[in-house]
Amino acid sequence: MRALYQQAIDLYRQRVFSFAHYSLRVREDAEDVTQEVFIKLWQNWQKIDHEKLGAWLMRVAHNSVIDHVRKQRGQQDNLDKFAEVEEQVGEDFDESGRDQDSFKRHLQSAIKALDDPFRSIVIMRDIQGLSYEEIQGSLDLSTSQVKVYLHRARRKLRENTQLRQLFETQAADNSKATKPVLVAGSDKGNRHAK
Amino acid sequence: MPNSNESQCYFIQLQIDGYLDQELNEAQQLVFVSHVQACAVCASEFRYAQTVHDAVMELPQIDCMDSVLEPVYRSAAAESQTAEPRQRESLPSQLGAFLYGLPLYFRYGLSSAVVAVIALAVSFSVITPRDKPEQLVANESAEQYSAEDISRALEELNVAIDYLNQLSQRTEVMIGDRFLVSPIQDSINASFEKAMMRESDPLQNGPI
Repeated sequence: MRALYQQAIDLYRQRVFSFAHYSLRVREDAEDVTQEVFIKLWQNWQKIDHEKLGAWLMRVAHNSVIDHVRKQRGQQDNLDKFAEVEEQVGEDFDESGRDQDSFKRHLQSAIKALDDPFRSIVIMRDIQGLSYEEIQGSLDLSTSQVKVYLHRARRKLRENTQLRQLFETQAADNSKATKPVLVAGSDKGNRHAK
Repeated sequence: MPNSNESQCYFIQLQIDGYLDQELNEAQQLVFVSHVQACAVCASEFRYAQTVHDAVMELPQIDCMDSVLEPVYRSAAAESQTAEPRQRESLPSQLGAFLYGLPLYFRYGLSSAVVAVIALAVSFSVITPRDKPEQLVANESAEQYSAEDISRALEELNVAIDYLNQLSQRTEVMIGDRFLVSPIQDSINASFEKAMMRESDPLQNGPI
């Protein structure tokens, strides 16, 4: 039983930690969530349907993240001030030529700022490449609901003003550089499971 | 004309995610591509969506450090260590655990009552003569009980006495000086001595 438990941790630790990290953006909180999830796995080992272990773990991780978000909201003012300073420092640094990193950092903030389940679905589908079935099992939603929420989540991400401003600034800088607009059937970055 | 263009742009922009996920069929792809190549607004919107989409896809999977999982392994090991001996617990220790779970007064009362009942039952069976010994003698012949049988029965009784002694010692530990169990022990011992004496008397030669 211990060996199987160890195998399960090895198999899913990255998925759980990654999900928590992109949801909370605070490494310590993500570590707490990961620990909570795997301790609960041990406590419920006999009761779990092991064929759906991945979905069970992600459901527990999702619930644990929600609890942490609620706790964070109590300290939101301090965090916001800290984030503003951090972003400003980041922007100063980015002006020296790290535009891509800056965009990705803002993108991660924008993902974290999404409400649930939009945030969870974007992370599970677009970052972690989970299938619609795995996501619906983790979040207790139907496949069509997952698709609709994913579509809305991506639109909300694109509506993020900071992200759009950054993109437009970069686009203006690179206006001379020609880039093919459409690459039909391109597989770039496509990690989706069908 | 601008209205039809706007509505077309609206529908094309709704299909951006479908195009990026390669979920459009060939006909839809053709319409989409031809519109985006002709419309600057939709081309810009598409380029932005593609940039965001690619950036999200390129975000790496992050793993935690091994040290994060050490408390998890420790917790699991601690729980399994406490769970396994519990499965191997013997009946007396289970009984002890049950007794310790009870309130103090109930625990003392129950254990002393059990000891007293067992002791009385044994002493009655040893001391009290049968109502009609002659009938027993008549029905069950004296030859049926050899010296071996009697000695075996006495051994068994000794085992029972040892068990009762242990039980009473344990109860004494539990109840302290509140009750004295030794008189019961003495009475049991006295009854066995009488039984040994009766053994030599052929008239009193009962089943024991």
